Amino acid sequence: MVVERDHHGFDAPAPLGHPARASLPDGHPTGPEIGERLPDFTLPDACGTQIDYHADRANRKSVVVFYRSAVW
Amino acid sequence: MRDAFDKFAEHEIGLYAISYDDQETLAEFRDKQSIPYPLLSDIDSAVIQKFGIVNNQVTKNDAILYGIPYPGVYVTDENGVVVTKFFHDSYKKRDSAELYIDAALGRLVLDNNAPQATGGDQGIKLTVAIHGGKGTIRQGVIRHLVVRFELPEGLHIYGPPVPEGMITTEVQIDGPEGFRLMPPEFPATEKLTLPDIAELNVWHGTVDLIYPFYATGELASECRPLDTPSVDINVLVRYQACTDSECLLPRTETFSLPLDLDVIDIPDIEIHRGHGQRPGNYDGTPALKRLLARKIKQNPQGVPLFIGKNLWMQLKALGRKLFGRD
Repeated sequence: MVVERDHHGFDAPAPLGHPARASLPDGHPTGPEIGERLPDFTLPDACGTQIDYHADRANRKSVVVFYRSAVW
Repeated sequence: MRDAFDKFAEHEIGLYAISYDDQETLAEFRDKQSIPYPLLSDIDSAVIQKFGIVNNQVTKNDAILYGIPYPGVYVTDENGVVVTKFFHDSYKKRDSAELYIDAALGRLVLDNNAPQATGGDQGIKLTVAIHGGKGTIRQGVIRHLVVRFELPEGLHIYGPPVPEGMITTEVQIDGPEGFRLMPPEFPATEKLTLPDIAELNVWHGTVDLIYPFYATGELASECRPLDTPSVDINVLVRYQACTDSECLLPRTETFSLPLDLDVIDIPDIEIHRGHGQRPGNYDGTPALKRLLARKIKQNPQGVPLFIGKNLWMQLKALGRKLFGRD
């Protein structure tokens, strides 16, 4: 794999312009806004247990992280 | 994030991480990396779609990548209402977990895991601290350099702008090539009106001036061995503290903080081999094969198209490297 440095100065083992390097365009919406309640959702965790986010939170503050992949 | 988990638990903040990976992959990842918080599997990217943050530059024919989000983080209050969110103009920029905790708590909790230095005089305590993780440097990972003044009752310092002849609080930060500062974050100043003289912007009590920073490839590429195990960040702080009626002498203090560079574990899969500083303990190949199989099922033509596109882009990159142009 050829390593190339992008305009931010970051190196990655993928060519410039590769979809794996596609970043958030300027002005692109970023989902729920400050002041909005996060949508309801239920997803399985690594054990297969269904986690209902708002129920599991149980009136705690929370941090919800969307990341690209644990594989690559 | 894993290292900071105790802090999330201590402050009773729920932490959830969502990706399009399958459960088996997440279970392996959790076990190998000892991750104590829920890794949720959004295998068809339905929740990523619902939030409206699917990476729409990745097409269906980009095979294994299809369905990834623009990475980002939401911090909510007890009602699940967003108080802050973190999205950046590069997927490489990531905030330290401590910054999410600060956002949830609405205050900055400095700990002494990371390098710091103290100064000050005349009852003023001045701390220059790195905030985030252990303060180590890593490509794209955002830490905060915090200049904290703890001013005794009755004293204040000045924020910009100040009238001519007065001294505003000034911070200069110098690091090596590839050390990048982001726009600083200052608390709001208060107005202090001196009748017939001036209207001034002042800070008093505990004042945190925050300078976010990260490293680029010049300093901490994740694709080659590190040039140096640590670097010095030099900080100059100039200020003048005053009461409402008189001023102390202006002071200039300098600090030097040695910051270690992180040695990064790279995923042990073909595309990453030969790069990075140390192979990870996690063999991603079976997970990659499952991901490939799943994406072939969804869109059989996507995989050969993606492989072809990938090869073509690699060739063009090689051309740029050899001949300096496309």
